[in-house]
Amino acid sequence: MRYLRAVLARIVGFFTKNRFDDDLRDELLAHLEMETAENIRRGMQPDEARRKALLASGGLTAAAEAVREQRGLPWLESIVADITYALRALRHSPAFTAVVVITLALGIGANTAIFSVVRGVLLKPLPHHDGNRLIYLRQSADGDAGANLTFSVPEVRDFRAGAPSLGGIAEYSPWFGTLLGDADAIRIAMGLVTGNYFEVMGLSAELGRLTLPSDDGIGVPPVMVLTHEFWMKRFGGDPSIVGKQVHLDGTSVTIIGVVQPAPSFPDRMDALLNMVVSPHHTSAFMLENRSHRMTEVVARLAPGATLDQARTEVAAVYARMRGEHAEAYDAGSHPQVAVLPLKEALGERARLTLWLLMGAAAFVLIISAANVANLTLMRGARREHELVVRAALGAGSSRLRRLILVENLVLTLLGAVGGVAIATGGVGLLTSLAARYSPRASEIRLDGAVLGFTLALSGALALLLSLIATLPKEGTFASISAGARRLTSTLRKQRVQRALVVAQVAVSVVLLAGAGLLTRTMIRLSDVNSGLRTDEVLTMPVPLLNPSRMSPAADAETKQLYERMRSEVRALPGVIEVGVGSTMPLRKSLIDLEVKADGKSPAVGEATPRAGLRTANPEYFRAAGIPLLAGREFTITDQPGSAKVVIINQTLADKFFPGENALGKRVAWTGEVLKFTPFSGEWRTIVGVVGNTQDGGLEARPLPVVFMPFAQEFAVSGGLVIRADHNVAALKSAAEQVVRRIAPTVPLENVLTVSQIKDESVSPVRLNAALVSSFGILALIIAAVGIAGALAFSVNARSAEIGIRMSLGADRGRVLRMILREGGALLAMGLVLGVIGASFATRVMQGLLFGVAPTDPATFVLVTVAMAAVGMFACWIPALRASNIDPAISMRL
Amino acid sequence: MADQLDVKQGTLTLMVLRTLDVLGPLHGYGIARRIEETSKNRLALNYGTLYPALLKLEQEGFVRAEWGESENNRRAKFYALTRAGRKQLARETRDWNRTADLIAAFLAPRREAR
Repeated sequence: MRYLRAVLARIVGFFTKNRFDDDLRDELLAHLEMETAENIRRGMQPDEARRKALLASGGLTAAAEAVREQRGLPWLESIVADITYALRALRHSPAFTAVVVITLALGIGANTAIFSVVRGVLLKPLPHHDGNRLIYLRQSADGDAGANLTFSVPEVRDFRAGAPSLGGIAEYSPWFGTLLGDADAIRIAMGLVTGNYFEVMGLSAELGRLTLPSDDGIGVPPVMVLTHEFWMKRFGGDPSIVGKQVHLDGTSVTIIGVVQPAPSFPDRMDALLNMVVSPHHTSAFMLENRSHRMTEVVARLAPGATLDQARTEVAAVYARMRGEHAEAYDAGSHPQVAVLPLKEALGERARLTLWLLMGAAAFVLIISAANVANLTLMRGARREHELVVRAALGAGSSRLRRLILVENLVLTLLGAVGGVAIATGGVGLLTSLAARYSPRASEIRLDGAVLGFTLALSGALALLLSLIATLPKEGTFASISAGARRLTSTLRKQRVQRALVVAQVAVSVVLLAGAGLLTRTMIRLSDVNSGLRTDEVLTMPVPLLNPSRMSPAADAETKQLYERMRSEVRALPGVIEVGVGSTMPLRKSLIDLEVKADGKSPAVGEATPRAGLRTANPEYFRAAGIPLLAGREFTITDQPGSAKVVIINQTLADKFFPGENALGKRVAWTGEVLKFTPFSGEWRTIVGVVGNTQDGGLEARPLPVVFMPFAQEFAVSGGLVIRADHNVAALKSAAEQVVRRIAPTVPLENVLTVSQIKDESVSPVRLNAALVSSFGILALIIAAVGIAGALAFSVNARSAEIGIRMSLGADRGRVLRMILREGGALLAMGLVLGVIGASFATRVMQGLLFGVAPTDPATFVLVTVAMAAVGMFACWIPALRASNIDPAISMRL
Repeated sequence: MADQLDVKQGTLTLMVLRTLDVLGPLHGYGIARRIEETSKNRLALNYGTLYPALLKLEQEGFVRAEWGESENNRRAKFYALTRAGRKQLARETRDWNRTADLIAAFLAPRREAR
């Protein structure tokens, strides 16, 4: 309390300086007068009395100063003075200030922007209540389709019964539907959830109510909870939406509420509904069949339970399941269940890319800081005189240190202001990048925590820069009068400077190597043969039928509509061919099913082969440009009543019939899941083999595919594949008009040309490569400036020596070579260190590379040569200056 | 002059508080005179020592300062003990006596040493 009171009094004192100064003067003068009077009373002469009194006082000014220090906040006052001084000093060297501030702004800006993304996507606590206790379960297996098998309802039931450390387990099943509006229809992504979903997730309603356990089961009214984004986008945030009825796939559904903003996981979703919406989800099939997996599982750790406990329990339950229901688990594909914190699962795909960018940005900052340190050292050499004078006038070394720290703080804070401005501009671009990898991109903000990070960064930089600066040692005052060059300090500075230059070159090489590898990855990726003969193909998914309501009559109608669309689009000018099929080329198949070949049984312990299921009409392959490798395409005679035929792709042919002719052989769908599909498991004869297409993205391995005739199977989904002679993108609106005329309520989304689809694979890599490359180029430029600066400083310091050399007969070429050699040595050292560093650093980014090794020699050579060339150019400028030194002038200095 | 002492930080506070306790409200000059006299002129207080100490005591709330008239009609700032100041004096006196005893015991002629 006493202390607080004293501090308070001091703060008051700081602001009421003037009144106190008058007061103090009066008080001290009164003291002096009284003492003088006393002295006179003792018999002294007035003059003598006053002199004695003054002598005893110890100096009025000094006393006033001592009281002032006690009164106010002396450190604050002197810091204000320091800042004023620093600003004045920086104004006097505008070039230095500008270079430093810009350099720092770039470094700090890059770090601030990327840190805001890292924080928003990876670090920030989830918006869910107690989000750190949320768990995501993932069942996976070997093989192409096994990355996420999801769960079946009986499996979830077993976990509920056998894993008490999971306090609540909620089911979430991704589903699609067509939502009818007043004038249009849109395709929405939904999650069918159990009633406890929101409670488990720790989400609360923004409006209305959320689903409850009472919404589970059959016989309850179907209800819909909107996500915040969809509510804003589709309904403009209209609060009266609660209680309204909407039409979803022909069913009337009540909107009961809007949930708070939260990341959609695992997919984008627009609305969450109770299970009753889908007859399938409440059917005995769904509820009782262990291998019918279409449910995602989120859980919440029970109070007091740990992640490790949950892992142990889940593993035990899973082992028991696999023992008791061996038929539902393909032992050959090594199924397993991972228990992940939800936050980790959400950041999974973004993690590597973001940390790579964060690392690159940190490197840029290191290089900028090194450059600023260099500049500070050079400026320090010029300022030495000033500091010595200040020391001679009585400034203690702590006072000088503080002055330097304040100056550096002013610099780095100016840099931070610029950096935040840069980051504000860059965060939008980064958010769009992050949105490709993470559902949390909307949480990216330049908020207080990010600004705090920036501030801390600036402070740390200022401290570092201040540590490098040297203070004049005591006893160096003589050098002022002598005007002597102080070589020792200059040498020490040069050593620090050279180390900094070597580090800059090395770090630049690492960054450039990363940039080079990513660029090569991008080039490799865009060079990948998609498997299609041409890019002049427009793909138009046309979802006509809701897969949950299927009847032969409805199916025949649907097929007629597709046929009408096909023939009318075909008639558009410029169209060469139009195909109809379940799935667009270069897109993942609707479903993957287990498949078997007649007379071939998989080896024991091997995963059961699976293939993507697709349908295609006779024109599909020609329209898409998929090459026919053997046999025939489908024909008009492949009708529902005729023999069942299929066309398989190269991958499946190689898998089942390596070195054999696949034509005439038979394959069939198989497996537990088949009975939930409208497709039969009868034998089908292979009539053709087509080339592979990059359906999982350009970087993925081609997956096995079986095409069935569009006419022979249920049209569970469909779309048009339109080929034109040129500029197919221009056909988009005409084709859409045709389709809308025939099916007015069909939602048309993702109508894309093949080049656009290909670009989906390439563009994130391109953005990555562009970002890291710009960091690399920035680093290169800053490093070049660093080299040039360090050499210029050295030339300056050695100008007398160079003068002597020249007067002793060294010609210009010799001096030039001498300086170049000096710079070249630094450069070489940096290059060697950089290549060594890069060969370690690039290994970390292996997961982001495609078609190029992390230590790709061509990239490394190119990067080294580029750095060497730029570096030597940077050496050239000071070297040229050295060779132009006039010995007559330099030796006199 | 040879045996003049510097005032140790901390002891000055005690002296000031004690002076005010004995003599009642007093101005800076009076306090300085009293301390110098009590110390038989072994202590010399310059303004730079005395006034910061007074200000500190005022900030801590142990003394209260008011402008008033001195005995020979001069305007002067008078310092007076507050209640907290009296308590502080008692506390510091006790502490000081203890410290003094302790130091005295330490510096006593060695009897039991070795």
